[in-house]
Amino acid sequence: MKHPLTNNYRLLGFYALFWAVIAVINIILQVIWYDVTLTESLLDTGTTYILYPLLGSSIWYSIRYNSLEETGIGRLVLFHLVAASILCGIWVTISYAIFQPFITEENHFLKDGFPSKIFAGYLMYAIYLVFFYAVNYYQSLKEKIKKEGEYKALIREAELQALKSQINPHFLFNSLNSISSLTVSNPEKAQEMVINLSTFMRYSLMHNEKEMVSFSRELENIKLYLSIEKVRFGKKLNAEFEIDAHCLESEIPNMILQPLFENAIKYGVYETTEQVTIKTTCVCEGNSLKIIILNDYDANSIKRKGEGIGLRNIRKRMEIIYNQPDLIKITDHKTSFEVQLIIPQKQAVS
Amino acid sequence: MSEKLQTLIIEDEELARNLLRSYLKDHPDIEVIGECENGFDGVKAINDKKPDLVFLDIQMPKITGFEMIELLDFKPQIIFTTAYDQYALKAFELNAVDYLLKPFSKDRMYSAIEKVQHRIQSGEDSAEKLEELTNLRSGEEFIDRVVVKDRHKIHIITVDKIRYIESLDDYVMIYTQDGRHMKQKTMKYFETNLDPKNFIRIHRSYIVQVDNIAEIQQYEKESYIVILKDTAKTKLKVSKTGYKKIKEVLHF
Repeated sequence: MKHPLTNNYRLLGFYALFWAVIAVINIILQVIWYDVTLTESLLDTGTTYILYPLLGSSIWYSIRYNSLEETGIGRLVLFHLVAASILCGIWVTISYAIFQPFITEENHFLKDGFPSKIFAGYLMYAIYLVFFYAVNYYQSLKEKIKKEGEYKALIREAELQALKSQINPHFLFNSLNSISSLTVSNPEKAQEMVINLSTFMRYSLMHNEKEMVSFSRELENIKLYLSIEKVRFGKKLNAEFEIDAHCLESEIPNMILQPLFENAIKYGVYETTEQVTIKTTCVCEGNSLKIIILNDYDANSIKRKGEGIGLRNIRKRMEIIYNQPDLIKITDHKTSFEVQLIIPQKQAVS
Repeated sequence: MSEKLQTLIIEDEELARNLLRSYLKDHPDIEVIGECENGFDGVKAINDKKPDLVFLDIQMPKITGFEMIELLDFKPQIIFTTAYDQYALKAFELNAVDYLLKPFSKDRMYSAIEKVQHRIQSGEDSAEKLEELTNLRSGEEFIDRVVVKDRHKIHIITVDKIRYIESLDDYVMIYTQDGRHMKQKTMKYFETNLDPKNFIRIHRSYIVQVDNIAEIQQYEKESYIVILKDTAKTKLKVSKTGYKKIKEVLHF
């Protein structure tokens, strides 16, 4: 989060205006009521209501990195006591340096004010603390509400998109055509394919109900999907899996893998006449599950135009769920295409 | 009809081919003379065997059914087959060509064949209709590749390899890093189907890939030439409107 004063010029304006008004009132009071000379009043007011607000704006950083939720109360008090002392030290030193030439035997107004100035410095620190904590709280709340709204909208979109891509009309009608053909030549296989297709579609439809599933479940569904496509593409499609058995219990967003395999088939298998291997490797590394999907493709017939909608959606969804960028990495090796997915886990999988 | 229709099947999926074959086996007027698994073989088979009728799948590896048509010297009657392709369907409807949506029934296929037989009897030529079909094809998106045929070899040119295109009456010459290829298409087709951010029609006779322009020189008052980034430093004329377009794209 950026500094609220540099980030929000309106707030900065109010901040300046607030201190300016206080400063003017202070000068008027001192000059008219207490008979302080104008020079002394200007110096005193300048250091208290201009210099301090300038220095004090840095208190933001002391609260920014010491959140109320994450820091213990003892540490918090100690930290702010030290910070306040440093700030007051700097402030008083600078003020004294400015005052020095004006302090004489007769004019000791500025000198007399020092003890109360130090006291005021600590008090103002406390006021700033409350102010900045309030600003920080307000900003985080606003951000949270915004993010939540975005999250909900994106989930809906992802669900719709996922449903669309799962029952990809191409996939569906071509599979139905394969079944139509099999009913003539191999009715048993036709039946098997109808059942596989139904199971796959059922899994796709239950997508709305649950956000996270076990990796083994998702993997099962991918294998089902590939087995259906295998009926269509025969030898051309070769799927290899290298799965670390420990990973199977990991949690993974529902239907996050299917679009990746669909892409691999669309750009890999569909565009070439040779055999294409889709190799899936999974390992558990500390607190995350790493999935690598690698497929060959024919660089001569297809120029991949960056990220398609499928990849973009997965990236978005991952960002929303885990609030972390760069969980998906895409590498084009010119003859093969690699997608690497990092799925953070709540507990370390051993 | 005394003679049987010499029929070719072009379809990449084995099961789909099996189905076509099994339907066609029972048709009294059809003789299947060959099957192809991809567009490359398909082009060769059509040009060599000159079939009367072709069942042509649209989505195929290497080149699509549409791209295939652009490469045919001989244009047979074609019944397209597709599972799902909205652009294709629009193009089919507009041109009243025959198509079958997978999965289709034997009856549906036979009625498509009947239509073809009528057309052959009335001596209708399919060439023109197919030509228009390929021009309509590319819907909303810009094309990302061009297929060409030199003598016996088919080349797939991804558009990033195109340096410039020159018009030659009814043909265009496509210049790439590796050479040049002739294609029977209009300049208008390329002007509308190539992304104008990357390709500029600089002259009645030239479309240039932006990244290939090395320099723009004024050589007379109000007239310009571009010099390309190649060893020969090819110079191409720029028309007045062409110059404006270059200015727009390159922001100078």
